[in-house]
Amino acid sequence: MAIEDILQDYEARRIKALAMGGPDRLAKRRAPGILNARERIDHLLDADSFIESGLFGTSSAAESDRDKTPADGKIAGYGRIDGREVAVVSNDFTVKGASSSATNGKKIGQMKRVATQRGLPMVFLGESSGARMPDTMGSRGMGVMLGNDPTQYRRMRETPWAAAVLGLCYGSSTWYTGYSDFAVMRKGAIMAVSSPQLVSMAIKEKVDPEEIGGWKLHSEVTGLVDQVVDSDEEALAAIKQFLSYLPAHHKEAPPVHAVPAGSGDGMRDIANVLPASRTQVYDVRKIIKAIADKDSVFELKPRFGKVVVTALARIGGRSVGILANNPLHKGGALDTDACEKATNFIVLCDSFNIPIVMLVDTPGFIIGLDAERRRAPGKIVNFMGALSLVTVPKLTVVLRKSYGQAYLNMGGGRNSDEFAAWPTAEISFMDPAFAAGIVHGLNPGDAGYDEAVMEMARGNSVWDIASMYAVQSVVLPADTRSYLIRMLEVHCMRLTNGVGEHLMRTWPTTF
Amino acid sequence: MAIVKLLTEVTGSVWKIYLKPGDAVAAGDEVMIIESMKMEIPVIAEESGTLKEISVAEGDPVSEGQTVATLTT
Repeated sequence: MAIEDILQDYEARRIKALAMGGPDRLAKRRAPGILNARERIDHLLDADSFIESGLFGTSSAAESDRDKTPADGKIAGYGRIDGREVAVVSNDFTVKGASSSATNGKKIGQMKRVATQRGLPMVFLGESSGARMPDTMGSRGMGVMLGNDPTQYRRMRETPWAAAVLGLCYGSSTWYTGYSDFAVMRKGAIMAVSSPQLVSMAIKEKVDPEEIGGWKLHSEVTGLVDQVVDSDEEALAAIKQFLSYLPAHHKEAPPVHAVPAGSGDGMRDIANVLPASRTQVYDVRKIIKAIADKDSVFELKPRFGKVVVTALARIGGRSVGILANNPLHKGGALDTDACEKATNFIVLCDSFNIPIVMLVDTPGFIIGLDAERRRAPGKIVNFMGALSLVTVPKLTVVLRKSYGQAYLNMGGGRNSDEFAAWPTAEISFMDPAFAAGIVHGLNPGDAGYDEAVMEMARGNSVWDIASMYAVQSVVLPADTRSYLIRMLEVHCMRLTNGVGEHLMRTWPTTF
Repeated sequence: MAIVKLLTEVTGSVWKIYLKPGDAVAAGDEVMIIESMKMEIPVIAEESGTLKEISVAEGDPVSEGQTVATLTT
């Protein structure tokens, strides 16, 4: 064949591979504003930075499928986000529902291997129907398709993984979302182990897709999704923002950004966020917003375990993970969902060298029958165990209440590298009102109850604990941001160039 | 028009009820206060609308997830 013919043949094959599932299927997606797999890549990556791997891959199972499987339904390659190389897999639902096949399984394996070994963040754009049928059927199908890569399900957080749930996600897309450090979901997308159709066949009951895997389920009940957005474009922007706080891999410190003008402007009035009465609640997110660099707060799981706020942010240009009690919900009392959320967040920050800042205002853990049934002891010790294994800097500021075991879980004593408190802090083993009942057997209304509560409250101020240096600094609310900026500098892990030990790198993403 | 249930997120007792059926409610408004863990925890309307029904009275014990009011949006 002459070189001209070879080049023509190449071009024809290239155009065919880029055509995805054909104009009709692509048009159907375009109408409701859903991006196709290649458009998603274009929105995610820096312009002209994508270099594809496996453009000419197709089904290798049935000869008749070769022409019907451009790129075999999973588009893979490398590109840059804000100038940094990443590896990406974008599922093309227009090609056999982006079902998992032998060829596209190899493509995912290659992306993960290169990302892990060369230190690139990994991005999964999910929309897949599960294993390709009938390729996987029978023992031959199983032998060919499954279990041939012993590292397929091994994750040790060498590099950050981010996932988007952008359509129907069953099988592969669900698993990789579950493995990821960050998951964003577009409203209308569904994530579940199996499709409602298969579930209905199995349990002989009609199953509603939103109920079995919609955004409300995953943002409010399971906590498997970190953010919910309205469009594909917003989902891709969220992935970019998430990665901006993280290093490209676990052996480097997170990038340092310029401090935006206006950062710290809200600090002067920050003390006014605290209500006059110790029994009243407030939204700690107002305090986080004031302390962090302007517009840098990126909250994770805002609708799940709301009694704690977990947010990536920057303080003085440095990435931090903020873990804060939020009295607005349940008075800040820690429930089992909050324990899971805190544990997950601590593991994320520690795995990628992000210092942890804790803001404390909690009356303790929620107790009761429901808490015990939800395995509260296990959740509490997971949270505590995670905090104890952290090797990145831990800086804690007690804003108001810190009681009992929650004092320890929220960085009390030597569970932080620096343990500071506002003068408004009250620290003890138990709320004075409960302690009056336990110690004196008195209830509200009993003679001597008020005096007993006052007696119990007297020793709870910050001054006693500061006098014995169990609190290192008493910080005025307005000075909190400058205190944290300085302490982040002091503790920036010079001996290891900002890299921690990652003792929880094999911990899962859910608990 | 939709009916939205307002739930208490904590087990405790109803301390104060601020609004009555027929009152206009804006997103973010506190409808009532539940006392739990010695804290005053508000039940907040997440959407704007009109309060249709209050299903508890001050002093009533409530459980986590219980419907305490309904809103017409």
